[in-house]
Amino acid sequence: MNINDENDIGVVFRKTLGHYTVHTNGREIDCSLSSLIHKQLIFPTADPTSLRHRVQEVHEISHVDAVAIGDRVRYVEAGDGRGMIVEILPRDSKLSRPAPVPGQRVFEQVIVSNADLVLPVFAAANPTPKWGLLDRYLVSAEASELPVLIVINKLDLAWKTPGLEEEIEIYRRIGYPVLLVSAVTGEGIEELKQALQGRLSVMVGKSGVGKTSLLNALQPGLGQRVKAVSQGELGKGRHTTTHLEMFKLDFGGALVDTPGIREFGLWNIAAAELAYLFPEMTDYVGQCKFGLSCRHDQEPGCAIRKAVMAEAISPYRYQSYMNLRSEL
Amino acid sequence: MRARAASFGDFKCAHCHVIVSSAHLLSGVNNRNHCPYCLWSCHLDLYAAGDRLSACKAPMKPIGLTMKKGRNKYHPEAHGELMLVHECTECKTLSINRIAADDDPGTVMAVFQESFQLAHQVHALCQEYGIVILRAEDTKLVSTQLYGRYVEIPMLNLT
Repeated sequence: MNINDENDIGVVFRKTLGHYTVHTNGREIDCSLSSLIHKQLIFPTADPTSLRHRVQEVHEISHVDAVAIGDRVRYVEAGDGRGMIVEILPRDSKLSRPAPVPGQRVFEQVIVSNADLVLPVFAAANPTPKWGLLDRYLVSAEASELPVLIVINKLDLAWKTPGLEEEIEIYRRIGYPVLLVSAVTGEGIEELKQALQGRLSVMVGKSGVGKTSLLNALQPGLGQRVKAVSQGELGKGRHTTTHLEMFKLDFGGALVDTPGIREFGLWNIAAAELAYLFPEMTDYVGQCKFGLSCRHDQEPGCAIRKAVMAEAISPYRYQSYMNLRSEL
Repeated sequence: MRARAASFGDFKCAHCHVIVSSAHLLSGVNNRNHCPYCLWSCHLDLYAAGDRLSACKAPMKPIGLTMKKGRNKYHPEAHGELMLVHECTECKTLSINRIAADDDPGTVMAVFQESFQLAHQVHALCQEYGIVILRAEDTKLVSTQLYGRYVEIPMLNLT
C-alpha cells in the first residue's frame, strides 16, 4: 500500500470519540487514529534529515486530540469504508483554546484548522450577549490572523438586550463587520450566505444562541436538531450540538458547527502582545512613556489610557483588555 | 449594558500608602471608593459608581462635602446623606461618594473645613456638575451628621 498517493489525502469533517470521518473525492471514510500521531519523536538535531535518523526521545503530544476538524490528513484505507489516519498535513490556520480538562498540565484544543472565517454568534436576547466572551473570540481570531464576521441572531425577538445597538456600534467602529440575522424570519440570511460562499467558516458561541438554527436556515436540507432555550436557569442553552462537525454548503464553502462554549481561554498569547490583538490599540502600542514595557494599567504617560480618555478606544474594550491581561 | 466589573478587592492607597481592606463588614458599602484614613480616592469609575470603566486611574483629592437628597418619605425634614466630593488630580473630573462606616470623622471634618478656602472656579465647576459644596454655615449640619449631635470642633489641619 502506497500511503504517499495523493488520492489518500482527505479532510476531516466530523469527529466523535476515537472516530474521524474523512471526506475524499466524494466519499466518506470512517477513520481511526494511528498511535504514531499521539507521539512526538525527538531527534538529536533540529533537522532530522541532516543526520542519521535516530530517535532520541518519544514525547506524548500536547493536544487533547491531535486531529481537528478541517485538518487535511493522509490515511490508509482498509477497503471496507474504514481507514486509519497516519499523518496530519501542515495547517494554514487554527483556532485554539486551552482544553477545559482538570489536571496540572494545560493542553491545547484545536477547535478547527484551515478555517478562512470565524463567526462569533450571539443572540439579541435570550441568552443575553456576553460581550467579554466576544472579545475573547476576537482576540483568538486575531492571534490566528483569521477574519471575523460577528453574527447577532434572534432579531425576531420582541425584547432585545438593552444597549445592544451601542455595543454593536463599538465593534463596527473598530472595523469588525456585524451581521444582524434571524434564523426564524430569514432576515439577513442572504447576506450571511454571501459571506460564507467559498470559505471554510466556523461558528462559535454560547449554547442557545441559535448556531444550529442558523445552519438549518442557511441550508434547510441539513435537518439538524434544535431545541428551545431552557427557561429554568437564567435562559441558558441546552447544548443541542454535542460534537464538532463540518457541513458542506450547497452554495459553496463549508461551515463548522461547534457545541456551545461557555468558557473560552486564550491559548499561547503572551501578555506583552495582547494589545496588538485589539486592532484599535495597535496604533498606540510603543507610544507610551515606558515604550513596549508599558502594561497600560497605571503607568504614567500611557498612550492607550489616553486614547480611552479621548474616546478613541471604547472603555468596555479597554476593560476587556485588562481582564484578559490579568489572566495571562 | 455590560455587567459590572468585580470589585478590585483590597488595595494600597495611592496617597498615604496604607493597605485598605475592601471588606463590606468594615466599610458598610459595596464598592470601597476611597481610603478611610486620608479619604483620597482613585479615578476608576466612568459612567456609574462601581463600573470601574475609567482609564484615567489618577488619584482623586477630597475637596469638600455635599448633601445628597434623601428619599425618606416618612421623614421629609431629613437632610439626606452626607457625601464626599472628589476631584481628579489629572482630568479634573468631579465625583460624589458615600462616606464609609470606617472613614475617619476627624479627617472628614478637616476636608470640610479646608473646603471653605476653595477657589471660585472650583465652586463654578461643582455647579456645572450640579454639586453644592457645603459651606461654613453648614457646620452644625455636618457635625450632626458625623457625630449624631452638634459638636464644636476647632479648625483642623489636614497636613
